[in-house]
Amino acid sequence: MWIADKYIDHVKEQTVEHPGESWEKMLLGFKANKLRTKLLPKKGISKGYQKLEAMMMSFVADSLARSDSYVWGNIFAPCEIIGCFGLNTLSIECLSCYFSGYHLEDFFIDYAQNTGIAPTLCSYHKTFVGAIDSGAVPVPEYAVTTSLSCDGNLNTFRYLEKRKGVPFTFLDVPYRDDEASVEYLAAQLKDFAMELERRFGRPFDEEKLRRSIRIENETRRELIRFFRLQSERYYPGELISHLYMMMGMHLLIGTQEFLDLIRFMIRDIENYPKFEGKKILWIHLLPFYQETLQSYFNSSRKYQIIASDIIIDSMEEMDETKPFHALAKKIIRNLYNGSYSHKAQMVGELADTLHPDAVIQFCHWGCKQSSGGSVLLKDKLKDMSIPMLILDGDGIDRRNSHDGQIRTRLEAFLEMLDSGEKEETAGKEEKRVC
Amino acid sequence: MLGYICKYAPVEVFESMGVQMERIEPDVTNFNQAEIRMHPNICSFAKGVLEAVMSGAYEGVILTTCCDSIRRLYDVLRDEFPDKFIYMLDTPRITKDAGTALYEQRIREMTEAYEKFSGRAFDEQRFLQYLKEKQEEQQYAVKSGAVNIGIIGARANESIKRILKERGANVAFDLTCTGLGRKVLVDESEVMAGYARGLLSQFPCMRMEQAANRDELIRRSAGSVDGVIYHTVQFCDNYAYEYAWLRDWLDRPMLLLETDYTRQSEGQVRTRIEAFLESLALETKKQQKKQRKGDGPMYVMGIDSGSTSTNAVIMDQDRKIKAFSVVRTGAKSGVSADRALHEVLEKAGLAREDISWIVSTGYGRVSIEFADENVTEISCHGKGAHYFNPAIRTILDIGGQDSKAIRLNENGEVKDFVMNDKCAAGTGRFLEMIARTLEVSLDELGAIALTSKEKIEITSMCSVFAESEVISLIANNKEKADIADGVCHAIANKASGLLRRVGMEPEFMMTGGVAKNPGVVRAVEEKIGSKLYICEEPEIVGAAGAALYALEKTGETV
Repeated sequence: MWIADKYIDHVKEQTVEHPGESWEKMLLGFKANKLRTKLLPKKGISKGYQKLEAMMMSFVADSLARSDSYVWGNIFAPCEIIGCFGLNTLSIECLSCYFSGYHLEDFFIDYAQNTGIAPTLCSYHKTFVGAIDSGAVPVPEYAVTTSLSCDGNLNTFRYLEKRKGVPFTFLDVPYRDDEASVEYLAAQLKDFAMELERRFGRPFDEEKLRRSIRIENETRRELIRFFRLQSERYYPGELISHLYMMMGMHLLIGTQEFLDLIRFMIRDIENYPKFEGKKILWIHLLPFYQETLQSYFNSSRKYQIIASDIIIDSMEEMDETKPFHALAKKIIRNLYNGSYSHKAQMVGELADTLHPDAVIQFCHWGCKQSSGGSVLLKDKLKDMSIPMLILDGDGIDRRNSHDGQIRTRLEAFLEMLDSGEKEETAGKEEKRVC
Repeated sequence: MLGYICKYAPVEVFESMGVQMERIEPDVTNFNQAEIRMHPNICSFAKGVLEAVMSGAYEGVILTTCCDSIRRLYDVLRDEFPDKFIYMLDTPRITKDAGTALYEQRIREMTEAYEKFSGRAFDEQRFLQYLKEKQEEQQYAVKSGAVNIGIIGARANESIKRILKERGANVAFDLTCTGLGRKVLVDESEVMAGYARGLLSQFPCMRMEQAANRDELIRRSAGSVDGVIYHTVQFCDNYAYEYAWLRDWLDRPMLLLETDYTRQSEGQVRTRIEAFLESLALETKKQQKKQRKGDGPMYVMGIDSGSTSTNAVIMDQDRKIKAFSVVRTGAKSGVSADRALHEVLEKAGLAREDISWIVSTGYGRVSIEFADENVTEISCHGKGAHYFNPAIRTILDIGGQDSKAIRLNENGEVKDFVMNDKCAAGTGRFLEMIARTLEVSLDELGAIALTSKEKIEITSMCSVFAESEVISLIANNKEKADIADGVCHAIANKASGLLRRVGMEPEFMMTGGVAKNPGVVRAVEEKIGSKLYICEEPEIVGAAGAALYALEKTGETV
């Protein structure tokens, strides 16, 4: 691996020295990684997660290679509509993760902060703003963002529109879940489709959207099946595997290719032994680089992450006959929208389906919408007698994640789970571990 | 009484029903409740509102879906007060017809909910009458003969305006959401629809889609003022985007001012505002020339009361330093100032009566009773740096409890400055803490850093985390010298961020106690790729600047 590491260091150095002149090298690295994940997949993880990684590498490398093949989105942007125009959706959150593959997140974050962007802003947004503003990464023709699930979306896209001239559609997602909200958002989604038609000069075919929704419904059902199996069988993966899964469920949902992959995983998992360890339901982001968490969860027979709310944040059966309304409903009922009790209820349902032994919420630096309700979720899970651990850190900027603190909290929590007396000790341990 | 926070809240609907409405303006000393019920990293305003509601006598609170922190505040309040009228009003971000239609419907639903809750009745005719009678609120205006300041950004509490007023500055406009007069639209044919449209068409805040319109109004308003204060709230990130954008093109001096809605932050807020006014060089000063006694030499004094050391400088009329002293600041800054005064007088062989004018500066500047006048340490550092080396354009000052970067023009006047926030990271205290952990003296820390052989990166930005990171490095048997060097580089990273924010114009100078630390100096020089000028006694630069102010006051020198 030393050649790869040297290449990473070299690209980082070049980018820091002359942002904008190293893009071809960054791209080359993504392409090389795409080949590597296909030809020499990571050892020690299951075939399904290997294929998932290869798929996500190709998706990003192929899209970035052609700037007219994609639009920027956020993770909740309606990729189904964008897909109808033969375009890919590259979410800014995922792109930030890919840039951090070159360890460039600190440079980009500092760059953004030095221009005046708030240090307390989400690090995914800061990384992206720094990457674009510094000129290190080229821009596409168009972008789209929802107001869901955080304030950063509108502001980041608007800022980049002003700075770099990337126009965007803003989709205002109302808070309440009722007919009026669905009508309001469905009309915006329709306008968005018309806007893409106009900009890219390709006609919109509603039948394509319907087909995509049919596949989406099937994918979601299959995913729940897979999660049930994953809570029963040992299926080795890494922290980052769950992020890839989240990417797939948001950027490739509605494609046959992704549905086929989930079906493959369902077949593949049958070959694996029964899982005997503790089952963890993960809430919110996963700091994929974090050493202690990696050492406890990567391909672990003792502690397996069986699902995460960021992967299955919507459980809506969609009505393909009214595709725009169906998409609007899906976004409005997303567990990140509305009140926290809505989220707590959906997490509760997920727990009822999958029976985890424990829940871990990772409070990502700068994410107010998620951190602000963590105490409420803990109360809800307490009522369900599921122990919950709150970890603080940063999903991308390692300078904001303190290993010593994460290790102490995590180990104490796992000790508590392993002691097998969770009900008696939950109350007592609470103060110590959280 | 119902509380509300947002300018989009339909206050008049309730008022027409005879409900007393109060805009919640938190003025708190701690976030104890908020930190138990929410999370420390939530916007300080939202935390302040939670504290205020928990200790106030509201029958309910009207919130809008204005931002992530307020959404979570609603959840916590609902949970905490199930019997109160805690209402979340879904407020569209789009002001086109679809947005106003939805908002009208949401306001009607809220009104019904309140009718049910309170037993009061809403009457549209009475509401119309109420709107008609409502007077337009007074707006601010430019005043001639005064320093005119405009305020932009996130909602600002009254203390900013109070401090400006105390310093004789006029608030010419306030474009924050609490500063604008309410805009009420009366449309007799469709009362509620017109009202909803009026609310949504107010000067947009950053959550609204049409916030791009802000640029034009800001451009027009700012043209008429001497300077702009751009206000942000700690852990509210939305307005920093606009600040970063305005910095590029707004052609007025601009101060970025972050507050956290607690009373404790007032001292820091005051220093920043005062330094800003001083840098505008427009503050109306009382011209009180002191008479010289006889024909003998004339002396003035500058005294800088910092968190770690109190430094005094005596200067004669020819701008020569007669004597200086540096004493550790104890628990009471007034006592340390007295000690510094006596020490410096003794060194100079002078008595108190020989000093014509004394200017104090530094955090403790207002508690020094024997001073005739006080000036912020930012202006004093500028003047002091220019005195020691007129080529200096950028100063890095790392003191005991804060660090700042200051940009000067060729006359030594402050053109811009930035300060670190209420955080010890990258300050002298941080070094002291680490030195203690490494069991070396502060002086040794810098010296041993120079002998480092292995590069260690301290990644934590927070000084508390950094300390435990250092402890784990010690546990891993890392060399003290390498750890010390890593710490110096961590400080240099922070410092270089400040310098970049203020603009990297050479020559560079470093002042403050940390400038005596060769490890930090070397690390900063490496990071910025340029030499740092350091004068013989870097701790007295601020006091020397204060003495120069005193000289100007006596009219002895230019």
